[in-house]
Amino acid sequence: MIEPILPPSTHEFADIIHRLESGGAMLPDTPENLMQIIGLYKAYAVPMDFYWRDLLYIAEQVFLDPLPAFKYFLPEEYLELPNHYAGDQADLRIWRGGATAHPELRQFMEKGELRRSLPKLAHHLWHDRINMEFAEECMRAMLWHRNMGGQLDAYLDSEEYRHNADRAIRAYFQFNPVMLAFYKIFPDMFLEQCRQSTMTSVLGLFWEIMAPVFFEMSDLYDEGKLTSVPEAMNFLVNGIFAIAGRPIYHRVRIRGTWYDIVPHSKGFTWLYEAAFPYVEAVFYRTSPFRGTKSYNAQAKQIPADQNDFHYGVLYADKFPVGSAGIPPTLLHQDMFHFLPPYLTEYYRQHCRGEDDMLIQLAISFQRSMYCVTSAVIQAGRAALLYPLDDPNPRHRLANRAYFEGQLNRFCRREYGMHQAARLKAIQSQTYR
Amino acid sequence: MVLSALIWLPILGAVLTALMPSAKGAKATAIATLSAVVGLTLWVSRQFLLTEGGFQFREALDWLPNLGVNYTLGLDGMSLPLVGLNGLICWLLVFAQNASAGRSRLLMVLLLLTCGGVNGAFLATNAMLFVIFYELELIPLYLLIAVWGSAKKEYAATKFLIFTAVSGILILAAVLALGWLSGGEQPVFDYVQLRQQALPLPLQRILLLALLIGFGIKAPLVPLHTWLPDTYVESSSTVAMFLGGVLAKLGSYGILRFAMPLFPEAWAELSPWLALWAGVGILYGAFAAIAQKDIKRMVAYSSIGHMSYILLAAASGTALSLVGAIAQMVSHGLVLALLFYLVGLIEQKTGSRELDVLNGLLNPIRGYPTTSALLILGGMASAGIPGMVGFAAEFLIFQGSFSAYPLPTLMAIAGTGLTAVYFVILLNRTCFGKLDNNLYYPKISGLESIPSLVLAVFIVVLGLQPALLLRWSESTAQSYGSAAFLPPPVIALHPISHD
Repeated sequence: MIEPILPPSTHEFADIIHRLESGGAMLPDTPENLMQIIGLYKAYAVPMDFYWRDLLYIAEQVFLDPLPAFKYFLPEEYLELPNHYAGDQADLRIWRGGATAHPELRQFMEKGELRRSLPKLAHHLWHDRINMEFAEECMRAMLWHRNMGGQLDAYLDSEEYRHNADRAIRAYFQFNPVMLAFYKIFPDMFLEQCRQSTMTSVLGLFWEIMAPVFFEMSDLYDEGKLTSVPEAMNFLVNGIFAIAGRPIYHRVRIRGTWYDIVPHSKGFTWLYEAAFPYVEAVFYRTSPFRGTKSYNAQAKQIPADQNDFHYGVLYADKFPVGSAGIPPTLLHQDMFHFLPPYLTEYYRQHCRGEDDMLIQLAISFQRSMYCVTSAVIQAGRAALLYPLDDPNPRHRLANRAYFEGQLNRFCRREYGMHQAARLKAIQSQTYR
Repeated sequence: MVLSALIWLPILGAVLTALMPSAKGAKATAIATLSAVVGLTLWVSRQFLLTEGGFQFREALDWLPNLGVNYTLGLDGMSLPLVGLNGLICWLLVFAQNASAGRSRLLMVLLLLTCGGVNGAFLATNAMLFVIFYELELIPLYLLIAVWGSAKKEYAATKFLIFTAVSGILILAAVLALGWLSGGEQPVFDYVQLRQQALPLPLQRILLLALLIGFGIKAPLVPLHTWLPDTYVESSSTVAMFLGGVLAKLGSYGILRFAMPLFPEAWAELSPWLALWAGVGILYGAFAAIAQKDIKRMVAYSSIGHMSYILLAAASGTALSLVGAIAQMVSHGLVLALLFYLVGLIEQKTGSRELDVLNGLLNPIRGYPTTSALLILGGMASAGIPGMVGFAAEFLIFQGSFSAYPLPTLMAIAGTGLTAVYFVILLNRTCFGKLDNNLYYPKISGLESIPSLVLAVFIVVLGLQPALLLRWSESTAQSYGSAAFLPPPVIALHPISHD
């Protein structure tokens, strides 16, 4: 228990500030919340196991294919690709399970929601598959919202990157004079495609870690070893620090040869180049182009400054109506297939049961992402500021200013951000 | 005896429903009774001669012959569609009742009693018998409003009672005067005889005015309408459906049945003013509806405007406009019942009727897509969109009235456009937009949607095939159209088919 030594905060979200100061999360610590977020982590981890594999496949092998019609048809090679953080040969074993594709994922890919073995193309056209559209939307959000910290962003504009990309592009189109001619005419277009491919790789490498983290959390919960929301958050914080230094890179395999576009040797690391930009781009910002709301730019409903964008999952409307963007309707559909039985049963007992399970799931997802964001905030505090139990009041004050600064993002009145933020809503268990 | 059955079967059913030991048994009895009423109406309609403009299936029983009050019933092309409407709406109302809800048995008993009374008024061919049935439904309706209404239900019920009592007194006085001034030894209240007698013009004017005010209150017509918004809004949706769907038709039926044909010279003299009155009423209702923030009140005001279409048709007095008027009564009944039912459902589930609160009800997962779609359909029908029953009725009224009273007809056409305006406001605010993330609205079950679906089917089918509605009243309208001295029919109806 951390003794408070400062006077109470006067912030709009003072209760949440105090909770963060005492080592808690933005999400209240209740068994129901814990059950929802862990269940969702598990349901998220299975499609995520597909996402990271396919993202790496797209970044490494599909690359600049002008007609990438089969980029979601993951080859066996990538299903067998060992996760670096699971299995016996792991660099750092986070999950005690296997390193290759998760069995539930394999099973779903085989028979889908239809529970019938049909040709892959039939499942694909019927949309009975893992929806990579969500993953690509996240990647585009990260690419579009640049200048979010780290060094990779600047590197993408460097001469070195341009040179590496040029080499890979020429190799890729070596026997395709038409594309080479296009490259000659529109070099920047190909370079931008290459940057997109790099960001695809970054997101793939980010999720390669998050999938085993979530699987392990789910297993620990099932074993009764994860009993509170702060414990779940701390597991994430510890995980973040354990793998913060994981290298971020991008390489392409062209006719059997690997071409480094962002080499390992540049020393880009997971925390600063992938985790923080991901949280910023996907949880906070994303873009106003998709989803349920109609935004009117001329009526100044869309911020002029991209930094003020607030369309991420922490602000998401829980009523998606079928768009593939964020709010991530298709992600909900993906998670829906892998819900643990206790969560399915929980949803059946509330609201409209089976009929609105996707919305209940969306709200659990929102709760779970507030927990992940809490972990990132606590990790930021631990990395940049002071321990929570620091006896020095000035240090505690600095911590408080940091927490208040983070929560200010949910209070701003401009563009109705305070109304869009769901922080207040998730404090109540009746928000379903 | 079949017409008597249409009156007394619901009343007998009310007694049986009250005596049933279980709530489910009571509901089953009420449904069975009303099913029999609907079945009988269908049978009657099969036997109904379309070429006959006068009363059919006549029944006569001496009751108080010395006073001229006899139990005489008859059915013509004006009453048949209304009897059908009454049976259908009562059936749906009883079907929609939750048998286990508190006092649902009493509600069903009162509904059955009212149903019988209303059928009696539609079928009576003795003016005094009409008045008796007209007054009979007053007490059950007062209870229906006062017991099941919302916060200001007592106020609304008392207001309704006072207005309707005044309406009844005026009608009674006019009918008594009509009977006593017939010139014979005994007062005459028989409708057919009353139509044949000629009264001096000054007397016609006085009696017509009394009837117009009496029936104008019931319909209601502006400015006699002030009871309506309070009553409709404070009543439960069941009662509002009945009031708007059926009861208001007693007023317009009275105008068409008694006020217009019994005082032809006075009617002809007054009709330009009546047409103007109708035009003003239509515009007033539409503008008042546009100004509302409460969707139930909006529907209530829309009702005021739409009832004035019937006055316009009656003022024009052409056979075509009269067919339109009868069709409008049925159309208005169906559409208003649908709208009140849907508004009631929405209020029950969301706890609000406020335009500023309701949003995004078309949401496919957490909203009410079916209910919202039906609300859109109801709005379209009310605005007279082609393909809906409202179009057929309003088109005939405009067609039949324009040559006689172009300005009021144009006002009415503008009113139709304004109807579209307030329904677009209603639908845009409630159905579109986005649902509030912080609210949860419980599901509307399939069973709860059945009454609205049935009404929607009628609205669309009669809209696509208006002959199914119009053919019953063509002959009757011809006879009434020619009875009205001014103006003569301009557009003849097509010959009636006999198959």
